[in-house]
Amino acid sequence: MTPLARAITAECLKLRGTLALWMCLIAPATVVGLYVLQVSFSKINPKTVADPAEPWSFFTQSILALWCFLMLPLFVTLQSALLAGLEHGDNQWKHLLALPLPRRVHYLAKALLVAGMILAGFVVLLLLIPVGGGLLMLLKPAFGLRGIPPWAELVTTAAKCLAASGLIAALQTWIAIRWRSFTVAVAVGMSATVIGFLVGQSERFGHWYPWSMPVQVLAGEGQHASFVVVAGLLGGLAVTALGLADFLRREVG
Amino acid sequence: MHPAIRTRGLTRQFPGGFGISGLDLNVPQGSIYGFLGPNGAGKSTTIRLLLDLLRPDHGAIELFGRPLDRSHREALALVGALVESPSLYAHLSGRQNLEITRCLLDVPRARIDPVLRRVGLLESADRRVREYSLGMRQRLAIALALLGQPRLLILDEPSNGLDPAGILDMRTLLRQLADEGITVFVSSHLLSEIEQIASHVGVLHAGRLCFEGRLTELRGRVQARLLVRCDDARRATELLLAAGEIVARGDADTLVISLAHRSEAEINRLLVGHGVAVHHLARELASLETLFFDLTADPSLRGTA
Repeated sequence: MTPLARAITAECLKLRGTLALWMCLIAPATVVGLYVLQVSFSKINPKTVADPAEPWSFFTQSILALWCFLMLPLFVTLQSALLAGLEHGDNQWKHLLALPLPRRVHYLAKALLVAGMILAGFVVLLLLIPVGGGLLMLLKPAFGLRGIPPWAELVTTAAKCLAASGLIAALQTWIAIRWRSFTVAVAVGMSATVIGFLVGQSERFGHWYPWSMPVQVLAGEGQHASFVVVAGLLGGLAVTALGLADFLRREVG
Repeated sequence: MHPAIRTRGLTRQFPGGFGISGLDLNVPQGSIYGFLGPNGAGKSTTIRLLLDLLRPDHGAIELFGRPLDRSHREALALVGALVESPSLYAHLSGRQNLEITRCLLDVPRARIDPVLRRVGLLESADRRVREYSLGMRQRLAIALALLGQPRLLILDEPSNGLDPAGILDMRTLLRQLADEGITVFVSSHLLSEIEQIASHVGVLHAGRLCFEGRLTELRGRVQARLLVRCDDARRATELLLAAGEIVARGDADTLVISLAHRSEAEINRLLVGHGVAVHHLARELASLETLFFDLTADPSLRGTA
């Protein structure tokens, strides 16, 4: 195994029994559950829809919007802070960085694990969408859900949102590793999410703001989707490179 | 044979004048090297430099003849370390903690049980570390350091927080490791502890190495001391200083005199002859603690490093 692969394996071992793994299930389940509850208690007039994909499209877009707008930035904030907190706790950095591995593998392993957990969050969300839809078919037939979800559209949209979240992931990972305090990472992430709640609704600025980039995939006619996907990916790579350079320069006191 | 640790002109300064300056360490292979110094002398800074956790302003480090710097870290494969408090994942078991480091070092899984047995944690290996006592944590940290079968063990204050039984166990373990040919570099402020296990010592004061060599050399270097209690310590001090003696004040009525010039009988005669009543006069054998005190307090005794 390469040093990076060994570092990733070690990161996975550290996660056993932590809240971080459970959050990959809890966060998407909360979003799907909340939306299903909201619809279940809403007053909906039954209407005839010719295309059975239309209610599914509305349902999945609504869940993805709730996920990307609010839960995803908080999820990224928490996961990156928890992962970095594993090393900040007893200053495990002084043990890790005294091992004969290239220093970069520790940072890259953390960054890749944050990315992996975001991917896991998306996968769980996609798997829970048909479950939530099935519940609504039983609880709220008036909502009009029938058949199976439009998987191709759903997966494509989710993949774009995932790519657009690259910049937030890289920023939050850097902040969480750079500052020892859990509070700093969480405060930045929460504040940025709240700001994103306003900025994300702006046609002019929404797609420039990292924390609202994922939801821009769904905004309007998707006119900013390509931009935020590219910006999320390239920005994520650039910030990871800068964060790594900062990490390599830093010392363990 | 290359020294286990060799530094040349190792310097790292921090704002406020702290740090180390021009450190030339030579740690022989197979030795137990006690690295001594008062708080703030630069022991932890030195250890962090030896592990590439800090970068030096100047100077070079070699471990077993291999250079160590940010771009040449291979020499760290020969090192196991415990820096200050143990770095452990409290939510995991002792065995899982070892598994993480084993994975990073790419050593066989079969190494885990022998190191657990060696530090006496085999029975408790599957308990969570958060349930461990401080002594058990310290032993687990030593196990982590031993996992990669190091030729050099660097331990920063390993007896910190241990009870007497734990200190005894630690001492026994370090002796066993040295008997197996592992070089042990151990910093401590527990001077009596170092005195019992070290073959070599380095004494650091204000970032500079005051002494380096065998413990026996250090003992031979310092004169015995005389403790004197008398009715007028101030006057006695003045008299002795005027007579060219090296005097330090202990508590209010106690003087500590280096027996470099006069014998104890002559000092007694000098004081009594000037009307100072001497209540107590005793020659003190130099323990490492007193040697250390002398080295870090008296510039005239330095200069061998």
